[in-house]
Amino acid sequence: MTRWERSVPVYGVPVITRGFWALLGLIAVGLGLIAIREVVGLGGNISGMSDPFAWGLWKTFNVMVLTGLGSGGFAVGIAAWVFNNEKLHSVMRVALLTSVLAYWTGLFALGVDVGRPWNFYWVAWPATWNLHSPLLEIAVCIMLYATVPLFLENLPPVFEYIIYEFPKLRGIAEFCESVMKKVYPVIIGLAYILPIMHQSSLGALMILGGNRVHTLWQTPFLPLIYVWAAGFLGYNCVVLCLLLAKLAWKRDVDPEVLSEMNKITVWVVYSWAAFQLLDILVRGKFFHLFTDGYYSILYWVETALIVGSAYVLSTEKGKKLGTMFLAHALCALGGMIYRFAPTTLAFHAKDGATYFPSAIELIVSLSFVAIAVLAYLVAVKKLAILPGSNQDWRNMARYEEQVKPGIKLTGYAPAQH
Amino acid sequence: MDMTRREAFKNLAKGTLPVLAAGCVSTVLPGVAHAEEEKQAPEGALGLLYDATRCVGCKSCMVACSQANDLKPDTRIDGLHQAPPTLNYFTKNIIKLYRTEDGSDHSYFKQQCMQCVDPGCVNACMFGGLRKDVETGVVWWYGAKCVGCRYCEIACSFHIPQFQWDGFNPKIVKCELCREHIAKGAKQPGCTEVCPTQAVIYGKREDLLKEAKSRIAASPGKYFENRVYGEHDAGGTQVLYLSRVSFANIGLPDLGENSIPSGLKYPHAVYKWMALPMALFAGMVFFANRNFKEHDHHLVEDQKKTGLRPQL
Repeated sequence: MTRWERSVPVYGVPVITRGFWALLGLIAVGLGLIAIREVVGLGGNISGMSDPFAWGLWKTFNVMVLTGLGSGGFAVGIAAWVFNNEKLHSVMRVALLTSVLAYWTGLFALGVDVGRPWNFYWVAWPATWNLHSPLLEIAVCIMLYATVPLFLENLPPVFEYIIYEFPKLRGIAEFCESVMKKVYPVIIGLAYILPIMHQSSLGALMILGGNRVHTLWQTPFLPLIYVWAAGFLGYNCVVLCLLLAKLAWKRDVDPEVLSEMNKITVWVVYSWAAFQLLDILVRGKFFHLFTDGYYSILYWVETALIVGSAYVLSTEKGKKLGTMFLAHALCALGGMIYRFAPTTLAFHAKDGATYFPSAIELIVSLSFVAIAVLAYLVAVKKLAILPGSNQDWRNMARYEEQVKPGIKLTGYAPAQH
Repeated sequence: MDMTRREAFKNLAKGTLPVLAAGCVSTVLPGVAHAEEEKQAPEGALGLLYDATRCVGCKSCMVACSQANDLKPDTRIDGLHQAPPTLNYFTKNIIKLYRTEDGSDHSYFKQQCMQCVDPGCVNACMFGGLRKDVETGVVWWYGAKCVGCRYCEIACSFHIPQFQWDGFNPKIVKCELCREHIAKGAKQPGCTEVCPTQAVIYGKREDLLKEAKSRIAASPGKYFENRVYGEHDAGGTQVLYLSRVSFANIGLPDLGENSIPSGLKYPHAVYKWMALPMALFAGMVFFANRNFKEHDHHLVEDQKKTGLRPQL
């Protein structure tokens, strides 16, 4: 049985592959379309948005859904650092990388979506802040989170890379690392409180949608249910990344860590679903679960995907990697549908008004995802992100030291503690 | 899953308690939430009174609105007539027709900003791009503070703010009760200036409310539900409506008496003085600090065993 003891780069595979060029091509097309959008505006064939459906994919999917999926950084982090779950430290770097990529591409998407981005500099001028606005809370919080604690949390692998690959800069990198260690508890405190705040405010956004958000989703507790969903979505995403690494590069898995993550996912899902149902019952909307046609079906599809997958994860079958992968994928799909419901799927904007993203919106949206995937692929090959065993590290070191003579990856004495 | 009850509780605690703690505390603080007062219209609140029974559907108010606001008339339908299908970024004011399918009943109705007492759009706006004037209570748009996020459109249950979808420098377009027209010396907005039947009149909200009530008193049973729409609806609006047909038929949704932003009172309670987030932050730093030291100790031990550089 393999143990995940330390993070090890993916080695012996080229960074530049056919997939790399394909993603780069998609990104180039996306950037071109963004340039057109900036000149022409959002009307006509550029986007499917309209005044009743004023928010399209870039906000509702790239920001509201994908940052939920990128919540691993705080969902796994809280369990590891606050609740002292030692096993989860080995997957923290994957979680943090998925988070930073989801948030940065989300912010980029937000910048492309808004009509007058040049006025965004007011965010640096607190006197203009409207403290009643959930969107203000999100804007300030997400920017702060993505640029300070989340960014800093992702630096240790970069320092390590510098220490090994650029001996001349070793002193500076080690100094930075030691400073980081001193303030690390404060950084991670910030890295958990900020996402709890803005992930819940993403739900608060749609409270102002009033009765246009279907009653099964519209509740004063929307913020709580939203941030809770981010909890299990984060775990889904991290487990999927780990299993895909096994598939793509034959990385060994540590069944103990995976089953620990599954357990947490299961409990977060069960408590989430129970709370959501309780909220519906307490608000007296029980019959809407069955009588509202499309909306009732949507609720059951979403709930069945999420709770059903969690149930499978809790059984013996869920320990098989294939089943585990499928269960996490379907659970993530259900969670994404939930996060997509209040803004779009269960949003009755106006009689007769519908929204379907235009081709340009879809391509640009996918190109944001492509940026994240591309950066992820480069990062796991260059930096020590994915978990492995100490033996993996030694194998990697032997390989790298042959390829790049003069580089030493083992037996290196770090600064004294 | 094979686990003892003890393990089950432990797992529950590990996974869900932080999330629970983050939000659930809000539920025990409704007292704080209720402390937020209901918003009242300012003393000099200005508004319109539109009486659908007097409107003859001549649409002169639409033309006058375009002129007063320097808006290009929306003639996209045939290149000749100003006939926009809905409010849009050329159109701050529109007259529409409600008619039953068999034509047995009909009523004209006017749509423009309702100038809510507690507006959703103003609450939604990040940097005060939409602000309610302190004296008149009219909601004005300030382009220099607008990011173009369109949250105002999500937050308005009346579908009033319209986004300019074309061009690189889009604007939010909505009725501002002819703020520039009046600043230039006009006595009243374009629409009320030209209305031939006085179907829409301009004035202080309290005067308009008195006038509306006296019309109801003068002919009981003439008006739907014998009431003024906007007196209490959605927390009150400064534009008031009288109608013979039901309000729902003339595009006025049933929103209850609470303003849309009042739905945010629980989330706001959580952020009261930032006390709860700060406490949560302090708690997490405390535990993280303790666990970090322990973890660091493990790392050093591991390094002695393996000779590999510890990873943070």
